[in-house]
Amino acid sequence: MEAKRVKPVANSYMHTQPIWDAARNGRLLVQRCDDTKRLQHPPRPVSVYTGSKNLSWVEVSGFGSIYSWTVTTSAWPGHEHRVPYVCGLVLLNEGVRMLCNLINIGEAELKVGRRVRVAWEELGDGFLYPAFELLPDR
Amino acid sequence: MNESRNVAIVGYGETKITLRGGRSAYELAADVFDEILRQTGFDRSEIDGLAVAETISETANPFWPAYMADMLGLTPTWLECLALGGVSSVGGVARAIAAIEAGFCSTVLVLSADSQSSKNQSEQGGQRHEFQYPIGLKGPVGAFGLLTRRYQHLHQLDPLALAKLAVTQRKHALLNPNACDKLQVPLSEQDYLASRFVSDPVRILDSVMVCDGANGILLTTKKNIRSKGIAKFVVPTAYAEITNFEAFNPAAEITETGFKVAGPKALASARLKTRDVCMFHPYDDFLIAILLQMEQIGFCSDGEGSRFIKETNLSFDGDLPLNTGGGQISAGQPGLAGGGLNLVEAIRQMFGEAGSRQVGKTRNAVVTGIGVIPIGRNWSSSAVLVLEQ
Repeated sequence: MEAKRVKPVANSYMHTQPIWDAARNGRLLVQRCDDTKRLQHPPRPVSVYTGSKNLSWVEVSGFGSIYSWTVTTSAWPGHEHRVPYVCGLVLLNEGVRMLCNLINIGEAELKVGRRVRVAWEELGDGFLYPAFELLPDR
Repeated sequence: MNESRNVAIVGYGETKITLRGGRSAYELAADVFDEILRQTGFDRSEIDGLAVAETISETANPFWPAYMADMLGLTPTWLECLALGGVSSVGGVARAIAAIEAGFCSTVLVLSADSQSSKNQSEQGGQRHEFQYPIGLKGPVGAFGLLTRRYQHLHQLDPLALAKLAVTQRKHALLNPNACDKLQVPLSEQDYLASRFVSDPVRILDSVMVCDGANGILLTTKKNIRSKGIAKFVVPTAYAEITNFEAFNPAAEITETGFKVAGPKALASARLKTRDVCMFHPYDDFLIAILLQMEQIGFCSDGEGSRFIKETNLSFDGDLPLNTGGGQISAGQPGLAGGGLNLVEAIRQMFGEAGSRQVGKTRNAVVTGIGVIPIGRNWSSSAVLVLEQ
């Protein structure tokens, strides 16, 4: 039997429930500072731009580009069955970076600046976790 | 600069670094305490300040510094917990000086002990459960994989430069009896280049091996030094620290760190140019961290790290002696006591007690710390300490 990745538990350090509820429907939410209209990720209990709690959740396009990546050959505990797997930083079109897995991509195709889009991985019981995959070159 | 400073370092202690040695952080700390008392001739009752670095092995105890004071039989009038990761030791020096200057105490033991390879009680929590662990990023190794790849995209990174750092530090470790036995084997550039990737482009020999060990230093006032007739002492003349440099700027480069601020600030405060630096003892959790610090403290410009390393003799008897005890990468990283490893080596050199790896010119030393690897950006804390005779 293939090992399963551990699902994250929502609200582990602050109220993140809306992110995971939206994820179940394939929608990617990011936190927005309503005073400056700027985004921040991962979520925090205050705006990093102003210190205020005037925050909301906004849906983003799910499109972005590769900022950096690393091919993991020595697994983080619980991910041994996935080796090798690619962890990356994706710069979303909306201007915020996200740590994620880059999936369905050959190592030769990995390049800073390559366009990617969100792809959802099922971690069990319908829990969808965001990853990114290559957008075909036009 | 040192004449205008009121506080100096008068002693140091260090255990051998062991892999899964099985002795607790308390026992290791006691070895250092005993060594410092014997070396300096200070009586236990004269130590009225204690700063203890956080650990991986005993971290579940929220009262850790008080437990340590109890174990050592100390009655401090100033007790401090240092929780800056690899910045704890150099940051501990700065905080000890501030406490002495404020009159809270006059003689401070800055103590770091950890048995991370024997016992791990830590959990950083925060955003990790939801935004890092499900992805499987391999902790600091993964974060440095991302950082290294980004550097490769922006600049030329010559693997031979990193190989030279690995070999230079390993040669130093072979001359250091406190270095971990497992690392006391010669290493060639070819060995480095052939070592396996753990989080490509990071190789296993780019990174530290987590071990057990302890170190500490004793600081006191110049007044005490004079009245006791102490001959050997080293003066911390400048310190700069920054946490979360550019962290909240979503466009900030992950390769640009707080050393861009802390490096020039500390050197300017000590009125030193990089060419005046006698020895460089940078925090070395990864080889590329040494290269980035060389660039960002100002030994060379951005992107020139590989060239600078290849052109500079970094041996203990060279132009810019680098981590002359082998650094954490070749002596072993004693958990969160790792930030004190290169500090103690700098003091040992300045006391003229480094034996077969003794540096010739030890008028000053630059020692650094790096603390905490957060999600998807540069490291959290950067600190630079200048020591002078």
